This record gives sequence, C-alpha cells and structure tokens, in this order.
Amino acid sequence: MKYRVLALACSALVFLPGGIVAEVPSVIAIRGARIVTVSGPVIPRGTVILRDGLIEAVGDAQPPPEAWVIDGEGLTVYPGLLDALSTLGLPDMPRLNGTGRPNAARPRSAPAPARGPEDRPLNTSYLRAAGELSLTDRRLEAARNAGFTGAVTFPTEGVFAGLGAVIDLAGKRPGEMVVQSPAGLYLTMYNGGFGTGYPSSLMGVIAYIRQIYLDAGQYKAARDIYAAHPNGLKRPGYDKWLEGVLEAPRVLLPANDPKEFERMLRLGEELNLQVLLYGLAEGFRAPEILRKHNARVLVNLRWPEKPRGADPEAEETLRVLETRDLAPSTPAALVKAGVKFAFYAGALEKPADLAPAVRRAMIAGLSHDDAVRAMTLNVAELYGVADRLGSVEKGKIANLVVTRGDLFRDKTEVKYVFVDGMKYEPETPAPAAEVTR
Amino acid sequence: MKPVALWIAAAVLSAAADNSFLIRGAAVYPVSSPAIENASLLVLDGRVAAVGPKIAAPKGVRVIDGKGLRVYPGMIDSATEVGMSEIGAVGVTNDVRELGDFKPQLRAGIAVNPSSEHIPVIRANGITAAMAVPDGGVIAGQASLMRLDGWTWEEMAVKLDAALHLNFPAIAARRNTPFSEAKREYNRDLKQLDEYLEQARRYQTARKAAGPGFRTNLQFEAMLPLLEGKVPLMVTAVREREIKAAVEWAEKQKLRLVLSEVRKPGAMLAELKAKNIPVILGPVQDLPLDHDDPYDAAFTLPAELYKAGVRFAFGSFGNQFSRNLPYQAATAVAFGLPYEEGLKSVTLYPAEIWGVSAEMGSIEKAKWADLMVTDGDPLEVKTQVRRLFIKGREVDLESKHTRLYKKYLARP
Amino acid sequence: MTRLLWAALAASFTLPAAPPVVIQNARVLTVTRGSFTGAVLVKDGKIAEAAEKVMIPPGARVIDAGGQYLMPGIIDCHSHIAADSINEGAVSVSSMTGIEDVLNPDDISIYRALAGGVTTANILHGSANSIGGKCIVIKTRWGSAAEGLKFKGAMPGIKFALGENPKRRGMDDGPAGSRRNLRYPGTRMGVEDVIREAFTEAKAYQARWKEYEAGKARGETLIPPRRDLKLEPLVEVLEGKRFVHAHCYRADEILMLLRVADEFGFKIRTLQHVLEGYKVAREIAAHGAGASTFSDWWSYKVEAYDAIPYNAAIMVRKGVLVSLNSDSAELMRRLNTEAAKTMKYGGLTETEALSLITINPAKQLKIDDRVGSIEVGKDADLVLFDKHPLSSFAKVQKVFIDGALYFDRDRDLSERQLLQLKKKKLLEQEKQSAPQQKKQDRRPQ
Repeated sequence: MKYRVLALACSALVFLPGGIVAEVPSVIAIRGARIVTVSGPVIPRGTVILRDGLIEAVGDAQPPPEAWVIDGEGLTVYPGLLDALSTLGLPDMPRLNGTGRPNAARPRSAPAPARGPEDRPLNTSYLRAAGELSLTDRRLEAARNAGFTGAVTFPTEGVFAGLGAVIDLAGKRPGEMVVQSPAGLYLTMYNGGFGTGYPSSLMGVIAYIRQIYLDAGQYKAARDIYAAHPNGLKRPGYDKWLEGVLEAPRVLLPANDPKEFERMLRLGEELNLQVLLYGLAEGFRAPEILRKHNARVLVNLRWPEKPRGADPEAEETLRVLETRDLAPSTPAALVKAGVKFAFYAGALEKPADLAPAVRRAMIAGLSHDDAVRAMTLNVAELYGVADRLGSVEKGKIANLVVTRGDLFRDKTEVKYVFVDGMKYEPETPAPAAEVTR
Repeated sequence: MKPVALWIAAAVLSAAADNSFLIRGAAVYPVSSPAIENASLLVLDGRVAAVGPKIAAPKGVRVIDGKGLRVYPGMIDSATEVGMSEIGAVGVTNDVRELGDFKPQLRAGIAVNPSSEHIPVIRANGITAAMAVPDGGVIAGQASLMRLDGWTWEEMAVKLDAALHLNFPAIAARRNTPFSEAKREYNRDLKQLDEYLEQARRYQTARKAAGPGFRTNLQFEAMLPLLEGKVPLMVTAVREREIKAAVEWAEKQKLRLVLSEVRKPGAMLAELKAKNIPVILGPVQDLPLDHDDPYDAAFTLPAELYKAGVRFAFGSFGNQFSRNLPYQAATAVAFGLPYEEGLKSVTLYPAEIWGVSAEMGSIEKAKWADLMVTDGDPLEVKTQVRRLFIKGREVDLESKHTRLYKKYLARP
Repeated sequence: MTRLLWAALAASFTLPAAPPVVIQNARVLTVTRGSFTGAVLVKDGKIAEAAEKVMIPPGARVIDAGGQYLMPGIIDCHSHIAADSINEGAVSVSSMTGIEDVLNPDDISIYRALAGGVTTANILHGSANSIGGKCIVIKTRWGSAAEGLKFKGAMPGIKFALGENPKRRGMDDGPAGSRRNLRYPGTRMGVEDVIREAFTEAKAYQARWKEYEAGKARGETLIPPRRDLKLEPLVEVLEGKRFVHAHCYRADEILMLLRVADEFGFKIRTLQHVLEGYKVAREIAAHGAGASTFSDWWSYKVEAYDAIPYNAAIMVRKGVLVSLNSDSAELMRRLNTEAAKTMKYGGLTETEALSLITINPAKQLKIDDRVGSIEVGKDADLVLFDKHPLSSFAKVQKVFIDGALYFDRDRDLSERQLLQLKKKKLLEQEKQSAPQQKKQDRRPQ
C-alpha cells in the first residue's frame, strides 16, 4: 500500500504494483502550466512551486535550483478535488447509499431496543473519523486517480453517527491524513420502523434529536455551574453521548426536497445549530427556500436514476420523472439563487462516475468554474478550512490535480495528483471518464 | 325437548311457510322493465305470480298496503365473505383463506354460518343474496351464491358452485427483487397452473374411460364443471397486464371467465366487450390505484366499462360494508353511469353473470320473490328498507344493531 | 395533479389584492342559520355577506351556482393524511413526538380530500400508545408548504389510545428473538396505569420547575432541571393548553379515561371512534367530552363487535357533541354521505346530519369562531356541490379555503390530459437518452 512506499521513498522513483508511481522530492515546480487558482483569476501560463507539502509560490515565480521541475506545457493545474461527504478512509463504515436518498445506514449489529431518548439509542456521537482512519481503504487510491486529494469523511451508522474529519487522501500514518477534526456531526433519520425500539419512526427521530440537544444544553449548563460552584451542589454525571454533540462545530442533516429543506432548516434554527444539508436531489424545485434560510448545502452527485431491475410497466409519478430529468439542474439553480453549495461524490458507485455526473450538471446550466469551485474552495469554506485547502494559493496545503484538458470533460486525462506535495500519477493514463478502480 | 318448545318451533316453521301475499298500491320497479306506479304485485308460493295496475287478492292471501312505498328486486352482492368471517382481526372467526395453492374442491357455501350476526345486518339494507367467495392460493375454491335467509346453509344456497375463484398469477414486483426474477417466478406460477389444468384434463379423460385402476380425486372432480363449461372461473386480475394474460390464458384453456377486482383495464376494455367477458367491480368507493390517477378514477370506472359495452356487477369484497352495496352503485351513477345501469348492476346483472337470472334479479313472473320494499330510491343513503322478502317469505329487519339501538336508547 | 399550476392559481387568490368572490343563486346550507337560495360574498378570505341578495362589488369574480348547493367546508376530526410518519410505537408514552415535525404537504391525499370537500382536518398521531404524540389541525391548502397547511390559532392536541391497539405487547408475536420487543401494557388495566403514572410524573415535573424558578428568583445557584419533551405536553394538558383526543372503543375504557381525567383535573376534549359511546353517552355528556365516531364501521375487531350505526344518533340525542370522522384517506372524500347515514340510522335531521361534519367538529377543535358554518366573519371555507350534499349522487364542484379556489372539478378534468402528456414526454426523453446513459454506466470488468 501507498504509505509503506512513501515511508521508503526519498527522491528515488519507486514502482508499485498498485497502479501508481509516487515520487518524493521536497521541492517541485510545475512550469508553464495553465493555473486555475479558483480563489483568483486563471493564470494562462505560470508556475506553481511546492515545498515541504505546502504551496510556496504561484504565478511567474522562478523554480529554485533544487526543485524537481515538471514541464506543465499543455497541462492545467487545479486545486485538488475535495469530496464534501464520504466514508473514505473508513472502509468498514456502511457506504453512503446509492438511492439518491440521504443515507440512513442500518446499524450493523442490532442494538437492544431502547425505551426512550434516555437510553441514547443509535447514538455514537463520540465516534471520531479522525481516530478510525485506515490507509488500507482501496478507495483512497481510486479517488486520487480521479483527481481527489481530500475528503470530508464521516461515520455513517445510526442517527447520531459520529464526528467527521477533513482528511488528505494519503499519508504515512493514518493520523497524518487529518487536516481538521471534528469537521461536523453526521445525522441521519434512520429508524428501524414500527415494531423496533425507540425511535421507530421519523417523528420519533426528530423528537429524539430535539431531546438530545436539550439534554446537551442542560448538561453543559450543569457542568459549567458545577465547575464554578462545586461545593454544595450535586455533581452532574458524565454523558459520553452528549460530548460529541457538544463538540461538533456543525451538523449534517439530510434533505432532498422542499418539504425536507424546511423541516431540517427549521429544526436547525430551533436548536441553534450550524447546519449543512446533504442530499438536495430536488433542490431545483425550491432554491428560494434555501436562500431564505441562508442554507448551506451539499449536493449529491449521484443523480436519481430509474431503479435497476424495476418493472418496465410500473407506473411512475410525474414527480419522480421530473426529478430524474431535472435533478442535475439543481446546482445551476443554487448558483442563480446565491446558495452556497458543494458537491459530494461519496454516494457514487465509482470515481469514474464523477465526470459524467458533473457534466450532466453543466449541461443543465452549471458553469465549469462553478463546478470546479463546488468541489474545491466551496468545500473548504463550508467546513471552515479555506485557509488551508481549496485553492491554488501561497501557503495552502500542496494538494493539486494536474490534467491534460479541462476537468470533467470527456477525454480529459488526470496526469498528476499532489497530496501534501507528494506526486501521484495514475499508472495507465486514461481518459478521466474511463478511469476505473 | 319439552312439548311446549316443540309446539313453538312448529308454529315458527308454519309462519315461515307463509310465502304468498299481495302488495297493493306501491310503485313497482321490476328493473327488467319500466316502473309501474300505483301497482299491485302478487306473490304465490314464493314466486312472482303477477304484476300490474289492478290485481285481486286470491282468497286467504295476505294483503300489504304499499302506499308510498316502492318495490324492487332484492340486491345481489357479487363478492363477499358473508357468513365466512365474523370478526376481521380474530383469526379463528375467519374461514375465508385455506392453506395450499390448488383447492378447487373447497366449497365456500358449507362454511357460511347461517347464525352470523352479519347476515341480518346486511339484508336489512335490501341485499337478499350474496356470493361467498373463498380466497388464498391460486385456485382458492368454489364461490357460492347464497340467499341471506335460511335455517341452514343448505336452505340458503342458490348455487354452491357458482364459480371457481382463481387468483391469476401476477408479476409481483417486490422490493429488492429485480423484475427479471419476478417474471421468472410468474412464468413458473403460470406453468404450474397450466400443468394443473393439464392434469385435470387427463383425469377427465381417464374418468370417461373408467379403466381399471381409476381412482377418484376430489380436486380434479371439482374441476370437471369448469372444464365442461358449466361453471365460470372468477379470476382476480387488477391491471391491464394481468387482465390481458388472464384473458389470453383462458382462451387458450377454453375456459369461461368472470373477471374480478378489475381496476385499470386500459386497452383490454374493447377485448372484454368483444369476448363478452363480464366483470365484478371491486369497491367503487376506493382510492385511485396509482398516485397520478384522477382522484375519481375508481368512481368513474363503471361508467367507462358501460361506455365500452362491458357487462359488470358490483361486489363489496368483505362483509363489513356489504350493506353499502347500493352506495357503490350510487357513486358510479354520480360519476357518469346511467341510473338504470347502476340499479341493474346490483340486481339483474349479477343474476345474469352468475347464471341465475331465470330465478332472480328482477321482478318478473315465475321468478322467486326476492324483494325489497323501500320508502324511496334504494341508492340514496337516507332511504329506509321497510320490508324484505326472500323467496316470498318476509324476513325480519331486526339485527344485532337494531337490538342494541333500542336497548341503549332506552337506558335511563 | 399538476401541483405547481394549482399553487400558482391558489396564490393568485390569496394575495391581499385578490378580488372579492360572489357565489350566487346557490342553495346555501349555512348549518347554523338555516338554508336559503341566494348568494355569499367573500372578501379578504372571509365571508362578508350571506343573504338572498348581495351587492356585487366592482371587480368581483361572480360564480353562478344556479341549482347547486353551497355548504361550509367539511371538517374531519380524525385523519392521518399529510404526515410522513404516524406512529412512534416503540414506547407506551410517545408524547415527545408530534405530527407538526413531519407534515407532508406533498401528500396527494390532501388534494383528494379537498376534492371531497374537506377543508380542515385534525391530523392525529397513531393509536399504538396509551399516550401518543402531538396532533395538529390543518387546512387542506394543497400547493402550500408545510407551514402553510397549519390552521393558525387552533389549539394543539395530543392523542391517547385505549384498548386493543395500545395493549399490543410490542412485537412479541414477531419472528425470532431479535425483533422481540415486549412492551407494557398488555391489558386495559395496564393502559390505565400508564396514563396515571404519566400524569403523576408530569405533576412532579411541573412542581420541579416551579421550585427551580422560585429558587432562581431568590438568587440561589441551582442547576436547571432537565427539560423533558415527553412530559411537557402532559403539563400543557394539565394546564388546559392542549386538547386530549382519545382513541377508544369499549364503554368500560371510555368511562375509565373520563375518571382518570377527573382524578388529575383535566378534560378529555374528544373521544375518538368511541364506538360504544352509545352505552355511556350520559357519562360522556356529563364530563363534557366530544365524541368523534364512524358512521357504520363494525366487526373488524372484537372491540368493534358491538359497534352500531346508530351510535352517533344516540349520542346526539343524549346531549353529546358528536362529529363523524374518516380515519381514512379514502372515506375522507365522502363524509357528506357518511353524515347522511345518521338520518337513516337514528333519524337525525338534515341540519343535525350536516352539523356532524361541520360545526360540531369545529366546536370540538375549538375553531368554531373561524369555520364550521356559513356566517358573516368566518373564514370563507366553502364547498359547492352539484346536488344536495346528503344525496348519494352529489359531487363536489368547487372548494374554497380562505376565499381561494383550491379545487375546481372543471379545471381538474381539463388538466388530466396535460399531466399525461407531460409524463409521456419525459418518458420518451428518458428513453432517447437511455443508450448513452447505459454506456456511461457500464461497470468495470
């Protein structure tokens, strides 16, 4: 696996059976390339210098003599792509599902039926992605080959699934991958349905979430009061299920259609949460609701599809047909309404599905610039790491994707991917759209 | 039994035998012909003897004043669980669904409980006969046409084997089952059904030959009336695809069909008309089958069948709401079915479809006097049934409901 | 039904500048003030005039309803439409949940109910729990968002349930041990106990907070008590701020609940289903509870075996405030003929029958100052029928809510074609792009 190689490599070239060639000079200069900085104007012809994992210079800088110089002629440099919602690096977590509906993963082991919120069912808010990362996840390499250098990755089980982390998609040790933790708390509306333990319904889940936040508030207040006046007050206990809830800087809530936008945004407002909505398949129907609530959203790049193996004569509703037709127009509608959004690819079946999915959004009106931004700087901004990630700027982490041709176009080839200044190169250059694992 | 009790029983029996009377001055709606105002209706020995403006009462025949009242043939519910199911949620009171897939030998009529509290409740609203339909499996059993009066099921039975009920295989699209697999299952089910029919035919041949070693098989014995065309197959088929498959299959098998619970016949309407296949419509007062269907899709279906020239009758498909049978017809009328057709589809048409129109379904000479006497249009909710006759015998309109009503209205 | 078009249409009527509407030449069944042939003037969403003759204001939209019948919008006191979940069945007291959290304005049942003349509905939690979740009253404003469905100003409610449903012991008859989830109670005795325990707890909770507030007022340093979303609605019941709508069947359990309510000092606002209400009508009337029942359902379970279609009439005659409800997205569309059944079974008058689906449920939900009859000043929630609404042959032609036309049969008929065309176009479009799509979707070997 990659990290072993990286541990060995210095400036030597090492070939790997895994399909990637990694090289590790401490200074790299890409010269004469077109640079899409995202944060500023496109530099038609310039140089990017990477030193010790950071971007040292961008523009007409001269490569220092010790630099490994890469001829960027005919190439384009982009900030590395960031997947705004994934389980990358957490190979044992249930994947985000592919239905286009928000993920509501069934817990792998059925917990004992809960009698109420007091039992803290379906709550692993204390679980940290940052501490659970594994470099053995084969998907890391596949994602890099598609141009991803980073991701926001989350535990996905239960209602309060756990704390996510912004990670780089490579590192010597799992801990080195972490850029920011916690990045947020991933919530789902999972419930076992009638006949299971609490909560067994959507309304039960919502009531449960509300109670947990009330409890967390009371827990914090009690802790603070007790810390100031320990003498003469009854000691509040320790509640690990509330710790993660209190620590999370933001909360991810699932919402696919206008009804769910309002439902989740109101809940967030009521509980005074920083909310990131995820899903958004029917965002095209009511971007104005999102605008009105100043919503920040993560758009699932897996557009709704006709279910495989469906009865060809089964009657589908107009709404379903419309949604399949118009879901890819959601991003353009969000741009028009001024709603801040990022894409997530975590529900795609394979990285090769990325470019066609983005192209559908572009056909439906999304500009190429906005598409790139939705997978780079916007992700960084939504998770509060734009000072480190998301653009080609001096001082930022040296995460880049270098292509021949525009990103997401049909025949575009991902030439190099840089993660923390380390160069990765898909072994068999192939059009981005055809890259497979 | 004590002598006194015996005497009372005999008296009740003799009263029951009182099946001759004359209704005078009523409006008579024979259904098969135009209504006659201010008419008389003579019933002798349980059968209609005469209808006309002026009929004299034969000596000793009781005369009933029909002033302000209307006389209609009793209604027939073409699909019920009457007498076979008492309390829906209590399994042991239900005798509708037997185990197994192929059970043509089962006879619904013998499981109709004449003492069911449902019977008086249903007939109090003018329903005098009902199809008791078994369910479950592929060939569910024999549906029986029952009169809603009688000391025993034997007395109630009009036709024990009025039809054989078949749940035609459907491509069951289930979650997590791809269509191709559902289709494979369907083909297997269909093949199984074909093989069953084939076996039944071989049995029929063997039976005729009556060679040595021939042994009676109750299942295949029960298939003979179907194969001989004496009994129709009542086939549940809801959507166009199933209907088409059922019709083609029945044609191939040379079987007589009555379709049941048809909801979305689509292009098959013309076919049903051309092949003269009658239909038992499920509850008209129902939601549309699919999300995007017009809100009144179930209400307008009877009118669509009528316009296409397809014969049909109504069924309530249960027993709780069998008494609302006339309102199924009324809803159909509100949404486009001509009134007369609505009335016929709960009286004459079911009698025709089940092959008993020589005996019942309209007020005509020599037919059994299954009659309801009302104070208004029976399709209107407000209308009260004032009297009810089954085979000319006046039937009590009291039921569990009226008894409890009187008892608790009087509670101080 | 082409929802967006409808929304646009509705919006055009709800704008403050919407022109007045005059429905004239109709047979007007006011329910509370007799019937007459004349007109109703609607202004700013309210009934401005209802008389044999009204002045037509300039710019008014005039609807000639000659030969037709105008009645107040129908109110269904027991419905489960427009909600994404109904039952939180895992606990015996699920008062922490509420329908408001899961209102679904896209439920087609709203439109279908509208097409049956229903303009207001009490949306209840299910009956799996002795004390169920919170309920909400909505208007069937098809096309608006969840917020727009709410009947603003209506008292919130909570569902209770007695008898067979809440005493089902969880999934003890389910497959294998894994799904086994035994739940107290399993008898009617236990149901009473659960309710009494819950209110005892609620009273203690109420006291705990009072104590805390008092201590804080005295300047003491105190850790605030935990807020308990399960108990807060019960405190509201005790304080008369939330109505209890109790699902019940048998006479014994009805009486039990009335006595428990007496014991804890609150009122049962409505008994729902209450199929044996006729046996204890006197006690119900004395407590002041309303009864919301079915017209003729019976025999589907043991506790419904003594149900009779005369139930509503007996309770009316014994002084109970009675309404008829549907509890069904299907039946909801024909409550008018359900009402007619009380004329057949028990001999109620036309006005009494119509009251069961209009002014009576309005009173039960305490919204009778706003809806439930055609009176000047009330919300212009109106239904136009082609025949007398108590006739089996009557069809809804138009439905107004707050003076806006939300259902129009003619429009519905003309838009059916449009919907089919749209679907056909989308399907063809999808078919055409399918081969390309397929290639892209090709899985790697």
